[in-house]
Amino acid sequence: MQRKKAHPYLLVLPALLYIGVWILYPMAKTFYLSFFSAPMVFSTDYFYVGLQNFSQMITDSIFWLTLRHAVLWVLLTLAIPFMVGLALAQILAYRRTRLFYATIYFIPMTISFIIAATVWGWIYNPVFGGLNIFLESLGLRGFTRQWLADPNLALFCLNMIGSWGYFGFCTLIILSAYQGVNPSLHDAAKVDGANSLQRFLHVTLPSIKYTLYFLLVFSVIAAMKTFDLVFVSTKGGPHHATEIVAVYVFHLLLVEGEINYAATLSATLTLIILVLTVFMTRFLYRKEA
Amino acid sequence: MNKGLRSLSREAVFNVVLVMFVLVALYPIYMLFSTSLKTPAEFYRSMFSLPSNPRWENYSMVFIKWGFYRNFINSLIFAGSVTSICLVLSVPAGYAFALYRFRGRDVLFITILLALTLSEVSLLIPIYQLLNDLKLINTYGGLIFPQVALGLPFAIFLLTTFFREIPAEVLDAGKIDGCSDLRLLWNIVLPLGMPAIKAVSVMELMWAWNSFFFPFVVTTKYHIMPLSVSLMHFKGRYTMQYGSMATTCVIMLLPMVVLYLVMQKSFVRGITFGAVKG
Repeated sequence: MQRKKAHPYLLVLPALLYIGVWILYPMAKTFYLSFFSAPMVFSTDYFYVGLQNFSQMITDSIFWLTLRHAVLWVLLTLAIPFMVGLALAQILAYRRTRLFYATIYFIPMTISFIIAATVWGWIYNPVFGGLNIFLESLGLRGFTRQWLADPNLALFCLNMIGSWGYFGFCTLIILSAYQGVNPSLHDAAKVDGANSLQRFLHVTLPSIKYTLYFLLVFSVIAAMKTFDLVFVSTKGGPHHATEIVAVYVFHLLLVEGEINYAATLSATLTLIILVLTVFMTRFLYRKEA
Repeated sequence: MNKGLRSLSREAVFNVVLVMFVLVALYPIYMLFSTSLKTPAEFYRSMFSLPSNPRWENYSMVFIKWGFYRNFINSLIFAGSVTSICLVLSVPAGYAFALYRFRGRDVLFITILLALTLSEVSLLIPIYQLLNDLKLINTYGGLIFPQVALGLPFAIFLLTTFFREIPAEVLDAGKIDGCSDLRLLWNIVLPLGMPAIKAVSVMELMWAWNSFFFPFVVTTKYHIMPLSVSLMHFKGRYTMQYGSMATTCVIMLLPMVVLYLVMQKSFVRGITFGAVKG
């Protein structure tokens, strides 16, 4: 009985030590570095500069651009894969073939963004790309574009690649929540004369609410963290049209050698995600509890 | 009759939508596969057509002449090690978090949950310096350690949530029979928790296999690169060789698609468990 008290600590210790060394210490160091500056690029002779890096950040127009793109990315993710997932789950909910379809829809999620970016890069290619050829064959030559090279469209086109990987995930998650919806409630509502929209709003939606919240929070975090897809496809171009925080930091770090400024941006990104997460979970889950 | 007709046509629309998204999901994969068997000229002529004369030699060329087999082996070692280390660390931790009360438990667990939200880029500078100091750049260790750190919080979270569902009576029975804590873990929690452990394994494996960010920074030498990084380098070097490029993509994606289809049940459980229960 006496040993029982010591054991749980021994069991969690290895994992905690690991997380301490490889996550908490690096995280703390990133914050620490953001208060310092180096005499020249790629140098590690730091000196303390207080909030100077942060004031540089506030006047950095590219930083604000990355934030705007992050917000746009979140909105697009909610508008396209999230909504498609909701619609597909609604169609599939009471079908026997639902697992078959959900399984197929999820396949793109198992594929690396490096590959997705490569193949979609070909589809978007203005010269031989499938999308333009497809539009031309429909007689819609006027709609052909330079897709990823068009600053007005590039971010949207990239998000479509992300959506391709993500809509199956949304479908699957929402569909699994449908399994928890009590079918007798539906029947009761039907008897009471509720139409399908009313049944969706008053029976289905309340039952799958927490899953939708989870998906919402998850989507926002994932959107803020996006890197691979943008880095491999456009590296933030053309003319910063697809610049996002992570890619910008990467550029500052490896090309410009601005270690401390890069740390400042990373620390800010971390704070933004943390605040958003805490705020969203509190707001969404507390209201009903 | 009118109503029946309307529901029939609605059915038809739904089926068209469902099939359309099947095409959306699978078409790019089909395109990669068919391109992997084409010559560049054929690819330029049309992206949609099937290869007239499948060039299976693309595969042997990429694998052997380009040396892609090395990267394949690297990815196997990398993903396999990450998964094993994650399990060794997360199973005891999940067991303790789920089935013991101890001071600081909730604070520690929430810290781990918050680690799930961290972006890789915010860890990059210190981790790179750490790996550099430990002389781990361009080594398997350099690939494995950061990826374990990224995967560990999720593994602990999922296992904890699952182990909580193990009925207390079963554990009490074990205790009465005189099982020590570790025996309890080994003889009762592990077998009962197998579905969750499987789910964590397949997800960590896939996560590591597809990961790009840290591997890209940590490996600059070809012989140590995993598939994702070498694919990126091929992309720069052989821009116009679409057939062979597609071949490398197929080689990288096929094991994961097959793993997913074979382990589909574990997979779905892993993905949906946190969402629905948490």
